[in-house]
Amino acid sequence: MSAVLFAYDGQIRRFVTQFIRMFSNFQVEFGQDTNGTRTLQTVPVYYGDASRQASVILRNNSENSLNAVPAMAAYISGLTYARDRVQNPTYEGTLRIRERTYNEGSQTYANTQDGIYTVDRLMPAPYTLGMKLDIWTSNTEQKHQIIEQILPLFNPSLEIQSTVNYVDWSSLSVVQLNDVAYTSRSVPAGGDESIDIATLSFELPIWLSLPAKVKKMGVVARIIASVYDAQGDLNADLLATTQQLAFQQRYTPMNYKVFYSGNSLTLYNGTANESDDNIFGTTADWHGVVNFYGTLVNGISQVRLSFDYPDGPHEIVGTVAYNPTNPSQLIFSPDTATLPANTLSPVTAIIDPFNVEVNSTLLNPTTGTRYLILNPIGDINTPSAVAWAGAPGTNLVANANDIIEWNGTYWTVAFDSTNSSVEYVTNLTTTVQYRWTGESWVKSYEGLYNPGDWSLVL
Amino acid sequence: MARLSLWKDGLHTNDYKFMDRRISEMFTIGGTGILLNKYLGPIQQTDSTDLTQPDYTNQSAQNIQDMLWLENRDRKYDTNVYKMRGIYQRGDADFDLSQFGLFLQTGTIFMVFHLRDMVDMIGRKLMSGDVLELQHLKDYDALNEDVPAALKRYYVVSDASFAAEGFSPTWWPHLWRVKLNPMVDSQEYKDILNNIAAGSGTTTPVGDILSTLSTYQNINNVIIQQAEADVPLSGYDTSKIYTLPTNDDGTVAIGTPVTADINSITADNANVNASSGVGSPLAKVEGYLTGDGTAPNGLPTGAGVSFPSNPAAGDYFLRLDYMPNRLFRFTGSYWTKIEDAVRTNITPGTDNSTQRGGFVNNTNTFVDRAGQTHKERQLLSQVLTPKADN
Repeated sequence: MSAVLFAYDGQIRRFVTQFIRMFSNFQVEFGQDTNGTRTLQTVPVYYGDASRQASVILRNNSENSLNAVPAMAAYISGLTYARDRVQNPTYEGTLRIRERTYNEGSQTYANTQDGIYTVDRLMPAPYTLGMKLDIWTSNTEQKHQIIEQILPLFNPSLEIQSTVNYVDWSSLSVVQLNDVAYTSRSVPAGGDESIDIATLSFELPIWLSLPAKVKKMGVVARIIASVYDAQGDLNADLLATTQQLAFQQRYTPMNYKVFYSGNSLTLYNGTANESDDNIFGTTADWHGVVNFYGTLVNGISQVRLSFDYPDGPHEIVGTVAYNPTNPSQLIFSPDTATLPANTLSPVTAIIDPFNVEVNSTLLNPTTGTRYLILNPIGDINTPSAVAWAGAPGTNLVANANDIIEWNGTYWTVAFDSTNSSVEYVTNLTTTVQYRWTGESWVKSYEGLYNPGDWSLVL
Repeated sequence: MARLSLWKDGLHTNDYKFMDRRISEMFTIGGTGILLNKYLGPIQQTDSTDLTQPDYTNQSAQNIQDMLWLENRDRKYDTNVYKMRGIYQRGDADFDLSQFGLFLQTGTIFMVFHLRDMVDMIGRKLMSGDVLELQHLKDYDALNEDVPAALKRYYVVSDASFAAEGFSPTWWPHLWRVKLNPMVDSQEYKDILNNIAAGSGTTTPVGDILSTLSTYQNINNVIIQQAEADVPLSGYDTSKIYTLPTNDDGTVAIGTPVTADINSITADNANVNASSGVGSPLAKVEGYLTGDGTAPNGLPTGAGVSFPSNPAAGDYFLRLDYMPNRLFRFTGSYWTKIEDAVRTNITPGTDNSTQRGGFVNNTNTFVDRAGQTHKERQLLSQVLTPKADN
């Protein structure tokens, strides 16, 4: 049979600690001694229900020790369920908290954001904690000195707190003075030898809480199924600081655009736009965005780029690192498995037949050379140019955006741009991949990503 | 022949004297040694302005320090210690565990003294308030082996009267019976506890090793320390919580942090630090008593009694001339209130600046028109009452 998971927070203990604090540091003044000096003595406050052994230790295990007076003893006189303060017992209060980053080395908090958490708290149970404060004095004047300092503070109550935790909604209460028993003696005293004690009775409406549920907020970016290894232990990579797979969160910052070009991601403000491969807008600092959400670990943290083409959604995943020379750029290393696959054999280069330099490379191409052409070549009725030899007896006729290929003897049209299907091809000269939209060639995944189309995984 | 009679018209006859000497001898032979700390009367209170608490110029055991409460709180004891002999019945001692520690349940004892010897020695009978040290109850084996002397046993006389068994056939009393209670460390006996050495070879006052006062004060201090660790300041600590920087339109504001890579910044630029360029939130986490006067997210905060002359938008500044201190943020055109620093230490004492604490723990002073300095904190019954010219 399984046991209840142990949970003890010392809630009542903390209230009693604060209660004793509340009455500490009060002093009494003695009259002049033989030197004419008045003495102030601090009145000790302690818990009034000590164990016998502790009391013996305090007395030095001797009958001859002297109990000190004045003194105050606080103790719990009752703990009752407060039916009149019952609220919806099933209510769960939820709080979302962003933590500041904590530097373990310097043991200080930085001004950047760390984790984001959701805290679920179940309605605490209302109880009334009865406390008594016994004040032992050796004479009447001394008693008045103490109670005159304490009683005006309770008009009718003083606040008390058990913690300063912002999340702990049961930490605040009040100490309400209900009754004052001026003396434990009777008048006339007769043969009474008992010590004189004034008793103040207090009530604290407190709340006792169950443990809270603390959850790390974030979007599920990856479901890791293989969390256990062959021995049944947690996979070390999950917890390894070099991987941090179990701790990563995905954020999708808004109001910022990312321009992907080459191996870099440049951050732009949300007003940036793209025209003819040119970006018009103001760059922003990656540190500001990243620190807002957490900490970027070079080579571990990721950026994910999303786009949705007619052939389906794509997401490019790559690790990033700060560019040490340009704070607005991240160095992006995409996982090639996440890049769109080429549907056509790569081209040697992109050329404009109208402006291409006719040299030996063009006149003596190797077999398999492929060019993506920006302007048309040839006409059925016009003999082909020397460089663009067609099949024997025919002229090479190719449209703009076609891909032509040298088969060792003459040029053929390897891709007909009148084809409307989506195709991907890489330019071997620049290693840039292009996508045929049915109307034009565009960079397949490089370019400007709008807010919502890119994410940080920290 | 005269009739036999041991009573002689109120005279202390030779029969009485014979018996009294024999009884005194019995005390010498079989009594236990007692050291008497003789009560001399209340200590003179020279600055008393209360008619019910007179300033006695003659020290006397007949004086009463407080005519209203009818009590003597500050007692003077003879610096001489009188050696006496007393006889009492020993009983087993049990302890009562009370809220103030262990008390001897059977602590009250009754002891008899030889009347004439007592009066001859100290000049009067033992009276309530006299303190006796029972030498044979000295404890040499305290739990704390570091105490510099054996622990003495002190009793205080609470009542005294003629002992019933002390009347001889002459009908004259020979014995004085006193009721003794264990002494406590209280105001009344400080003249003994602070001024008598604990033993030969040490100057430590006897009160320092006998009293539980310092032990309980240390316990109290530990409790206070833990309480202050749990709740250093009133209200809630939001310093660990990150506040989202936002623009005026509610959108997230993200600044451009200053890094060493920025060429335009040089080491002599005093206005630039690690927090420069970090987003400046418009507000802090709100809650009950969350204001502590520090900027959100630990951003730098200036402080002073007037605003700086060239602030940048997003700068924070704590005005110390506001009570409680008030934190402002510069919007670019004006300073706007962020919060009041209302969190305070709540341990009773001078660090406590709650409203009620501000009336108690007020050490401020002011100078009147005559140039005299006065404390702001004055007892209400004495506020603005005429003061002596000198």
